[in-house]
Amino acid sequence: MEVTDAAIVAQVLAGDRDAFRVLVDRHSRNLYYVAYRMTGNEQDSEEIVQETFLRAYKALERFEMRANFGTWIYRIAVNRTLDFLSTKKTHMQKTYQITDEPDPEKNHEIQVETSQPGPDRMLLSAEMKAKMTQALGLLTAVERVAFTMRHMEGKSIEEISKALNVRTSAAKNSIFRAVQKIREQLEPLVSVAR
Amino acid sequence: MKHLTQEQIVLHCYGDASDGDGINQHLQECSQCRAEFDKVKAVLAEIPPTVVPEPPAYLEQKLWLNLRDKLSSEKPARWHGLFARSRWALGGAVAALVVAAFLAGRFWPNKAPEQKTNNLAQVNPQRVVLVAVGDHLERSQMLLIEIMNTDPKDRGDLSSEQELARNLLDSNRLYRVSAQKSGDPAIVPVLDELERVLAEIANAPSDPTARDLEEIRTRIQSQNLLFKIHVVHSNVAKERETSSQPAVNQKL
Repeated sequence: MEVTDAAIVAQVLAGDRDAFRVLVDRHSRNLYYVAYRMTGNEQDSEEIVQETFLRAYKALERFEMRANFGTWIYRIAVNRTLDFLSTKKTHMQKTYQITDEPDPEKNHEIQVETSQPGPDRMLLSAEMKAKMTQALGLLTAVERVAFTMRHMEGKSIEEISKALNVRTSAAKNSIFRAVQKIREQLEPLVSVAR
Repeated sequence: MKHLTQEQIVLHCYGDASDGDGINQHLQECSQCRAEFDKVKAVLAEIPPTVVPEPPAYLEQKLWLNLRDKLSSEKPARWHGLFARSRWALGGAVAALVVAAFLAGRFWPNKAPEQKTNNLAQVNPQRVVLVAVGDHLERSQMLLIEIMNTDPKDRGDLSSEQELARNLLDSNRLYRVSAQKSGDPAIVPVLDELERVLAEIANAPSDPTARDLEEIRTRIQSQNLLFKIHVVHSNVAKERETSSQPAVNQKL
């Protein structure tokens, strides 16, 4: 039978530092997926996962043995991502401004795709992705994390508010603001698609 | 009629609005709000899903190698002082007993001592370990030199080097742990660095790009690893010679 996460935490707390590796093996991939959905960058995601485990190790004595370790470390990862996005925000805005400028290369890429079968839909899909990337760049760190948790990961408002340590009303408001910003970018394309 | 707010509409799309029944009722009666609700739903449905690329196969190993050092500089989360020390002391004592039992079984004469040959009685366990570590360092050194000398333009297939790296990685771990336990300060950091590089070689694609290869080489160079291994290897060789002296003298 597989040793439970709680038993491994107890082992680490008793001084067996290397037992922590089992937790890294079990949870790092899921955390990586979460971080990637929020950052869209592989290297950043790896960095976030590493920081998450480091924080978890430091805070291990605060882990409630009855709780689910996966949920606990997920929350740490969300917070770490939030910090990361907050500090990277300036950079992301710059990137956004650059891609927002008319870019002949970008236009060229889209034209190449239109030469393939089903050109209209493919073109729209490519544009949709590009607009979505731009829209995500417009979101604040909290909006982006809250929206990703709700829309991409299907987390409940309660889970989001607990992870972000905010009231449910604040979590709802962040999601609303995120959707409004995304809608502004995508709606013109959606009406064309329909 | 009071229309729904934008926030109510958006949240209702996710089923998160506080008065869901009331909103449903309103949507049945108000075509303007229903049109707005449909628009938001259509936008949400068109949001492209995020395609997450598979993380590298060695993600866990890489994370652990990076974390391990950082964790060692951290205090364990809850350290039960004396209890923990006594646990370690007990663990150490048990390990020492096991080793002693093994060595006793291996070297204790079970026949009359006078019937044993001199050679068997003179085996020096320390020398056996030094010979093994020396060989390990030598093989590692050769592998790293081979990697350093590989032409990035004609790098071919690295699978045989990777196989060797995997084998060396296992033995490296054993030697590192033993060195840590015996508190050998000179050899531990070198074995530690070597372990990371070996892991990197073992986990690289078997047909690496020039960039992959360059990364490994930069790592080897930036840490002066070859030089450090050479120094430790020379020291181990000297120690090995010293530890073999009594046996030679006894033979003479």
